Amino acid sequence: MSKTVRLGSRLRYPITVAKLLKSPGDTVKKQEPLMEYSFKWMKTVGDQIRGDTWEEEQTTIASWESPTDGDLKKWFIKEGDIIRQDGPCIMIKEECSHEIQFQGLCAVCGKDMTDFNWAADRRDTERAKISMVHDQTNLLVSETQAQRTEHELQRRLLESRKLSLVVDLDQTIIHACIDPTVGEWQRDPTNPNHDSVKDVKAFQLEDGPRGLARGCWYYIKMRPGLEGFLRRISAMYELHVYTMGTRAYAQNVARIVDPEQKLFGNRVISRDENGNMYAKSLQRLFPVSTNMVLIIDDRADVWPRNRTNLIKVSPYDFFKGIGDINSSFLPRRQDLLTSEAPAVANTNGKPADIQAAKEEAKKEAVLEELVQVAGAEDPTVTKLQVEEQERTLEKQIKDRPLQVLQEKLDKEDEEAEKSTTPSEDGEETPPQSTPHHRHQVLFDDDNELDFLEQHLTQIHKAYYEEYDRARASHNANGHVDVPSVPDVGSALNKLKSKALGGCKIVLSGLIPLGVEEARSEIGMQILSFGAELRSKISKDVTHLVVSSLRPRTKKVRQAAKIASIKIVNQDWLAECFSKWVKADETPYMFQIHPDDRPGAQDPAAVPTGEGETDLDEADETDENTAKPKKTMLRLTAPPKLRITSASGESHPLGDDDGDDSDDEDDGRDDDEVGLLPDDVEEGQLSPIDGLKTFDWGSFDDDLEAFMNEDTEDEDEDNGDETATGNEQEEEDTNDERDGDENHQLARKRKQADRDVEDDSESERHDENDGSNLSKRLRRIKSRGTSSLRNQYVSTAPSDDAAAAADSSLPTPQITGDEEDVSLLKGAGSSAGDQNAAIVDGLDDEFDDIDEAELEADFLAEFEESTEVGAEEKG
Amino acid sequence: MFFLHNLERQVTLHPSYFGRNMHELVTTKLVKDVEGTCAGDYYIIAIMDAFDVSEGRILPGSGLAEFTVGYRAVVWRPYKGEVVDGITDKVNPHGFSVRVGPLEVFTSRIHVPAELQYDANATPPQYTNNADMVIEVGTHVRLRIMGIRTEVNQLYAIGTINGDFLGCLQA
Repeated sequence: MSKTVRLGSRLRYPITVAKLLKSPGDTVKKQEPLMEYSFKWMKTVGDQIRGDTWEEEQTTIASWESPTDGDLKKWFIKEGDIIRQDGPCIMIKEECSHEIQFQGLCAVCGKDMTDFNWAADRRDTERAKISMVHDQTNLLVSETQAQRTEHELQRRLLESRKLSLVVDLDQTIIHACIDPTVGEWQRDPTNPNHDSVKDVKAFQLEDGPRGLARGCWYYIKMRPGLEGFLRRISAMYELHVYTMGTRAYAQNVARIVDPEQKLFGNRVISRDENGNMYAKSLQRLFPVSTNMVLIIDDRADVWPRNRTNLIKVSPYDFFKGIGDINSSFLPRRQDLLTSEAPAVANTNGKPADIQAAKEEAKKEAVLEELVQVAGAEDPTVTKLQVEEQERTLEKQIKDRPLQVLQEKLDKEDEEAEKSTTPSEDGEETPPQSTPHHRHQVLFDDDNELDFLEQHLTQIHKAYYEEYDRARASHNANGHVDVPSVPDVGSALNKLKSKALGGCKIVLSGLIPLGVEEARSEIGMQILSFGAELRSKISKDVTHLVVSSLRPRTKKVRQAAKIASIKIVNQDWLAECFSKWVKADETPYMFQIHPDDRPGAQDPAAVPTGEGETDLDEADETDENTAKPKKTMLRLTAPPKLRITSASGESHPLGDDDGDDSDDEDDGRDDDEVGLLPDDVEEGQLSPIDGLKTFDWGSFDDDLEAFMNEDTEDEDEDNGDETATGNEQEEEDTNDERDGDENHQLARKRKQADRDVEDDSESERHDENDGSNLSKRLRRIKSRGTSSLRNQYVSTAPSDDAAAAADSSLPTPQITGDEEDVSLLKGAGSSAGDQNAAIVDGLDDEFDDIDEAELEADFLAEFEESTEVGAEEKG
Repeated sequence: MFFLHNLERQVTLHPSYFGRNMHELVTTKLVKDVEGTCAGDYYIIAIMDAFDVSEGRILPGSGLAEFTVGYRAVVWRPYKGEVVDGITDKVNPHGFSVRVGPLEVFTSRIHVPAELQYDANATPPQYTNNADMVIEVGTHVRLRIMGIRTEVNQLYAIGTINGDFLGCLQA
């Protein structure tokens, strides 16, 4: 373990080696002088008080101490050398390289690593910084030690032909809740849910949440078929548990899932040891190489660095509406593909409930924001989150959401019995044959693990095939060949990308506004399965995936006109994701609203969504309301023609298999497509897409530039002129129909403004995009301080320099003029600030008012002082 | 090593406890506060007797009474080179840690005899020579302390089982 030691950067180079105090073979101690050197430097000597000083060269001899214990092996320098910069000095054989450290102690030599002295350049604790043990954070190892350990692990896995599999707990292999209703149902055999919950396991945590949820029972439902799944999988994979729950929780769950500790052993890591509340990282367990590690988790966003190794499973949601009890630390999930959300929402569809839910959501959003603003390390945020989790847990105990659901169902059943008509079952409840049977809330019908097992087996097989091939080409003699280890991530990718290869998918209503499709959770999933993600409908698109919550988007109407596009709901996507095949679309065909069919009479009659902020929706509103007013740039043919052609088709409204299967009207379809705005602008961005991929930054720049053109002292009329001029320009570009995105956008905005504001006056003002800004500008001007400000602005730049020069000197007697200048300076800069703020459009009204007041004050004082100055002068 | 140690401590008592059995209360509070804590480089294991309770002094401002109590306690101070017995707590590829009463001692793999090999496939993982010696979670182990570090109210130590009569005690 020889180590080369450098001289260090703190010496005063150039230095001359004067004497080597130790020779190779000697044993040296830390801080023992090893050599002496001299250096020259300049010193200021003389009488400093009288300023009679000069520089004189001094030569100093200093000694260089050993930064470490050990045996001196070799000098790289010799006496008399002049060394100009930092470089290697000695080779030393260290007694201990401190590769494993336990809580600041070297686990090899037992020395305290936190001692720090000036002889060494860096702390000994920095030699071992990697924490790679599941259940301990105070055990740190060095890189070489980590590498060694990991190689051992790989060797062992290769010998037994296994891979590592990191398993998440919540909603992946189990579902947990603390609703006491579960316990009651378990004890009550007459309850309709008894069958479902009777194999639910429960435990209590000693160090669980405080307050109301203290000592609560955790009910753990294992995913159906889990036992067999884990048993069979553990023959191919070494299993690790990685959860965002606490250590005690993780261990209790592991005990339930794996009572003999055969599957997981002690390979359990929890939030307590993770070191990060928001993300999981494979590097925490496998710091060197993740080539042999796979992950199964229901959330992809918590694995920001290890997506290639991740198999995302669909979340197991047994206790309806509970979610993940340990997720309050994580960002809100945005990748839900189930249609259950509306069902739950319907069951407690009272407006008050929704209101409450919304408020709750708002609160959570605030918290989330807080989390994003503050770093992960902030203890106050962590505390907040712990409290938040406790609150959610308490809420669960108090509100008993499951009981509420069941009561609701029972009530529905009763009503159904009374009216003796078949009730409309929610999506959770299949039709029951006996009407006297109470419906149940909980269903144990999940089969995700079957598919997962297939996938894992496939990957394992593919991986070891590749490994054998690589080994054969290496001619490895032994039966283990670590260098030829392939990357399991690529094997996974190869398998996955076959699934939806060749599909071109458009999403509608599934991704929140402002999120780039390819960056969204669903988008990334789609891409990882080999499909192509399109943002707009065109002829070569194969699938349109529509959210069943928002069935009436523009994309649906467009896609309904192209027979080759299969319009499916999100469950199709979910099935593809879990089965890794292109699922049969037939059961998922989307029911298109009659009005959205190609034969629909009047598109303007379509009611719009209930104030959703989604862009699609907003655009629809625009289109529908704005159409009568003027010819749209997106509409090539006059509206009349469109209506004629549309009415000429006259599809029967009863035809609701959702698929536009009339083959004979292909040609007509084409005509129709020709009418579609998107198709017209083939190769160009549609207005919506233009917005989606729009570079707002550049737009802002443009806007700013535009605003800067209007100088401060410009009056109102002038500003309006510019605005109208701008609009004309827009009109021109629009006529050409190849205008750049900015103008299209401007136009869209304008339309939105028209729709919202009836007031013609304000509409006129709003015709440019800086409407708010110009309004504010006018408001400020109308306060009557504008002329003053203009004066300030005009004087400020010239006076600034003078004032700066003045202010550096003490002015015992302030003359009126000077005071004016300083005042002007202050006021001018404040006005300048305001200018900047207006142009940026960042300040709000309060700032305006404040600054206006400030200005008024300045004005008053200014006038006063000028008077005084005049008097003095006079 | 265990010692009988004479110590002193200030104990404060809330005014609501003022009364005849005040001294008794002071001793109880002392026991509650002190027993089982780590005072620098030793642990206070048990208080033998509180031999001297001073007169109470009312603290201005709060009204609490402060007593200076001299007491005799059994303390345990681990020394470098001391041989101790403990129970294995965690086992991992780098070594294993042993609880010696309140003290956590980590023994790295380097200080485990070469014949004892880490076996990750066993449940639970263990260090074993595939014969009579097995060190897994729960095993009683005798080890020698190699280094000690004090942190605020916490002691940590490094140990070794390389040596005569050290190692697994259940063989």
